[in-house]
Amino acid sequence: MKKIILIFTLSLAVAAIAIISSSCTAQREIAAQKSGAELWAQNCIRCHNIPSPPSYTDVQWETIGLHMRERANMTSGQIKKIVAFLQTAN
Amino acid sequence: MRRIFITVIGLFLLGNSIVAQDSKPGKTQFMVRGYGHAGLDYYKTPDGKDISFVGAAFSPIFLFKQGNRFMFETELEFELQKNELEIGLEYANLMYVINKYLMVRAGKFLLPFGTFMERLHPAWINRLSTKPLGFGHDGISPASDIGIEFRGAAPIGGTHINYSVYVTNGPRLKDGSEEPDEAGMLNFQNYIDNNNNKFVGARIGYLPLYNSSLELGLSFYTGKVGDQGSVYEDVRAFLWAADFSFVKQISPIKGILDIKAQYNQTNVSDAYYPVVEEARDSANLFTFNNLSRAYYAQLSYRPSMAGKTFLKNLEIIGRYSKLKTPEGSNWGSDVSELTFGLNYWISWRQVIKINYAFINSEGGPDAEEGPQTQKSNSLFVHWAIGL
Ligand code: HEC
Repeated sequence: MKKIILIFTLSLAVAAIAIISSSCTAQREIAAQKSGAELWAQNCIRCHNIPSPPSYTDVQWETIGLHMRERANMTSGQIKKIVAFLQTAN
Repeated sequence: MRRIFITVIGLFLLGNSIVAQDSKPGKTQFMVRGYGHAGLDYYKTPDGKDISFVGAAFSPIFLFKQGNRFMFETELEFELQKNELEIGLEYANLMYVINKYLMVRAGKFLLPFGTFMERLHPAWINRLSTKPLGFGHDGISPASDIGIEFRGAAPIGGTHINYSVYVTNGPRLKDGSEEPDEAGMLNFQNYIDNNNNKFVGARIGYLPLYNSSLELGLSFYTGKVGDQGSVYEDVRAFLWAADFSFVKQISPIKGILDIKAQYNQTNVSDAYYPVVEEARDSANLFTFNNLSRAYYAQLSYRPSMAGKTFLKNLEIIGRYSKLKTPEGSNWGSDVSELTFGLNYWISWRQVIKINYAFINSEGGPDAEEGPQTQKSNSLFVHWAIGL
């Protein structure tokens, strides 16, 4: 029980840090303006190497987009921009 | 057996023909993906040397997407184990996007308990040929289970948070009746619920930097593990993990720095197990503090900004990993492993890995009497491909 409390306290601490850092509007704007290419370069490298756009067709990138949104727990906004970029760069 | 192979090959051909005709895509999208590897393993232990070709393994992944919100995903694993073909169902789950922030998965899925098993274990993703200690066979943390999960992610200003909450059948306590040496261990490959109590788990991940290079995660997984109606009915397990990931191309060092780490702890509440030599109905019972710990930290560097293509594709890796299982149990051990690797990336999804591992172990279920440290070394040369 103690451990559950500890974990929840830690989770709350994480959430608190998140909220504090979100109050920085400059960062928020930078994040919102990121292009698909930028998001691809920063995110699709976190677990495996960065996949090259010509590896798949437009339709395949859509399937992979949904798969990675789930597997990598990425936001729908990020995935939409990344898939659009991959579909133009392939 | 042959029929299964023919079916799999048939599905491959079907997948390819669908791909070939995708000039006018319908709402149904089907993809066959997966991975495979081949290699040579060399082990040097106090008992002798062993060198062997390995790899007769093939893991196809099938993705079925219907519309923009629904997907079914499954991974099979075909592997030759001692001349027998073994087939495993790594995962098979349905997935539905509820809204921007939430999706639901049901079926057999990889558990987001830490990140290694869910995100990093496939042969073309894992920088080294082996899993860190504590994962996989006789491991202390789970890989997958059957249940239902809600997961999602959300931006919080320039940062991101991701979350997952799930309920599963949960692991089962080995009470020593089948394998006395393993009394008190958890069996994570237990897909039939042995009690009506469900396991509950969650992970929260936070990416505090706006370039998403850093992720910190915290997970837990808990429930009852004993068989219903047995004396172990009320035995509970509490597992937690902390994970760390930092990946970034850094100009001054002309390359990509990748740091990954995970700490796992498994705690099973006190229970009395029969002493090995005695008959099961004997009054001789023993107990121990059933706490296991494992962790790994891995650092890799790839000179991705070097001038020469050959250099760009090279990667060096170092990983330290440790596993400690309960003292006083029949499977108590203290193992540490230091592995170095040199990889050559043929493409983003194909790699040749050369790894050398130094292992120090004390105890364990197969150990000889008396505490003595065993030193062993191994060399792996593997070629892995993401399909
Ligand atoms: C959090 C980790 C993680 C991140 C971030 C990630 N991936 Fe993946 N990716 C995986 C894993 C794990 C697999 C292997 C899937 C499996 O074996 O079930 C994979 C597989 C793939 C594959 C092979 C096809 C498939 O769907 O299995 C492609 C292509 C891919 N990822 C592209 C991407 C792209 C594009 C991004 C950026 C949007 C991305 N990945 C971000 C973990 C990640």
